[in-house]
Amino acid sequence: MRALATILAIGLEVALILMVVGLTRGLISDSAKRIEGIGADIILRAPASSYITLSTPAAMSIKIADLVSSIPGVGHVAPVVTQFNTQNGLEYIYGIDLDSFNEVSGGFIFLNGTGFQKSTDAIVDDIYANSKKVKVGDSVTFLNNSFRVSGIVEHGKGSRVFLPIQTMQELMGATGKTSMILIKCISKDNVQPVIAQLKQRLPGYSILAMDVFVSQMSSAISNTAALRYFLSFVTFTAALVGFFVIFLAMYTAIIERTREIGILKSLGASKRYVLGVFMREAWFLCLLGFLCGLAFSYSGELFVKKIFPSLQIAFGLDWMLKAAIIALISSSLGAFYPALRAASQDPIDALAYDL
Amino acid sequence: MKTILETIDLTKSYKVGKVEVPALRGVSLRVREGEFISIMGPSGCGKSTLLHTLGGLCQPTSGRVIVDGEEISAAADSVRTDVRRRKIGFVFQRFNLLPTLTAQGNLEIAREIYGKGTNDRQHFREILTLLGLESKVRHKPSELSGGEQQRVAIARAIINRPSILLADEPTGNLDTENSKIVLNMLQELNRKFNQTIMMITHNPEAAAVAGRLIEMRDGRIIPHEHDVTWDQQEDKIYI
Repeated sequence: MRALATILAIGLEVALILMVVGLTRGLISDSAKRIEGIGADIILRAPASSYITLSTPAAMSIKIADLVSSIPGVGHVAPVVTQFNTQNGLEYIYGIDLDSFNEVSGGFIFLNGTGFQKSTDAIVDDIYANSKKVKVGDSVTFLNNSFRVSGIVEHGKGSRVFLPIQTMQELMGATGKTSMILIKCISKDNVQPVIAQLKQRLPGYSILAMDVFVSQMSSAISNTAALRYFLSFVTFTAALVGFFVIFLAMYTAIIERTREIGILKSLGASKRYVLGVFMREAWFLCLLGFLCGLAFSYSGELFVKKIFPSLQIAFGLDWMLKAAIIALISSSLGAFYPALRAASQDPIDALAYDL
Repeated sequence: MKTILETIDLTKSYKVGKVEVPALRGVSLRVREGEFISIMGPSGCGKSTLLHTLGGLCQPTSGRVIVDGEEISAAADSVRTDVRRRKIGFVFQRFNLLPTLTAQGNLEIAREIYGKGTNDRQHFREILTLLGLESKVRHKPSELSGGEQQRVAIARAIINRPSILLADEPTGNLDTENSKIVLNMLQELNRKFNQTIMMITHNPEAAAVAGRLIEMRDGRIIPHEHDVTWDQQEDKIYI
């Protein structure tokens, strides 16, 4: 029973690390993929924009889009207002001007319905529509406001939910502002010259070729200090839980098995041998706990996807390895003191011990 | 015959609160290779303390303990452990088998501690045959009778061919029939393998199977005239 509780607790430690990291990475890499899917060549954002929130919401004047359009080599420009939505899931909502967005992205593929007819219309992608079971004409709530679904489009172009840009600006109290500007160049050869021009005219702004932006966004976990601290805190807490669980389990074990320790010592077992017995036991529990943690994590993924089908979770082999190492270190540290106590027990006292 | 175990003026005191309680008060003893000795005496006379000290499970307060040529009285715990592993086999009244392991598992763990690996299979089989355990090796202690458990404990104690086997009331938890079987087996071990055995017992019948009887009282050995030897060189009387 004690061993089972220990395995489950280590499993939870591992699952906690994998789920938090998996959700964070899944969200970021999914966003990166979808931004890439728009097909823009350059992304322009306000100074000090974050990869996690994609941009400081609506921090740039929309007039910058006109300035960008005037640069030679620029084909189309689409301002986009983004807002992170935590209502009914986790996703970015894009406020777009449908015409300019279509020009940059090559146009939505409508599976049902049409574009915005009114300012209270919304376009959703097929994954969102399927997961929330919405049809064209249904009413949906975003940002505490009710919208009518005017069209369902094929997924892969930036967001799963699109609202008219003016509506988004009003909802956010940011009339005349935008979060980012997506730029499509006339040809790929124009990308670097346009970036150079933009950097000259808009110093301090974040201006990146889309492939660079996507690669930076994908590695946001290691590049973003706040995210790094957050994940470090989560892993530290999980490791601490693992440490205390193993510590208590092994401490109880040496009390329960005091007589056994006496027997081993009477047979001539050295301190190192007894230490090894308990450390090996802790490592074995840690291994089973890790496997249990993987099972918990994959079950958690299934559970989360059932509730929020649009949510992506990316565990990754690197973090599985990190979680295993964290569990191993916390288990080893947690088991060491009880094991040392076991190894140092007086054999006569241990043999005379009765529970 | 070679002296396999020797104690010189051995004393051992325990501290109970602030009071020193003497358990051994100067025990000088010589045991020759191949001897089967039984130790008798009333409870609290120091029999078990003597056995524990001889086996290096505890350190004497003063005096010397020499096991097969190695002095362990002042040695560190690690040295005493090493001597115990190589030269001492213990058998206890309560069998002290590891309950989660089979009989074979209990023997294997002893071999693992002794560091003999899987060598000496012939000796292993010989012991199992002698102790009548061939058909019991896959049983857990809870599936064995008291006599069988004690035989497994004896097998575990001698699997390393120790210089001396120390048995602390090996028949104390057994009925008459099983006691006889265990005592016969100890005799056989003594005869067949020339195994030196020191056995504590309260039972005079059990004591009778040994070749020599040592009686203890109040932490001392009661000298019997025929057992006393005088070491002229050291000017000491040994039992």
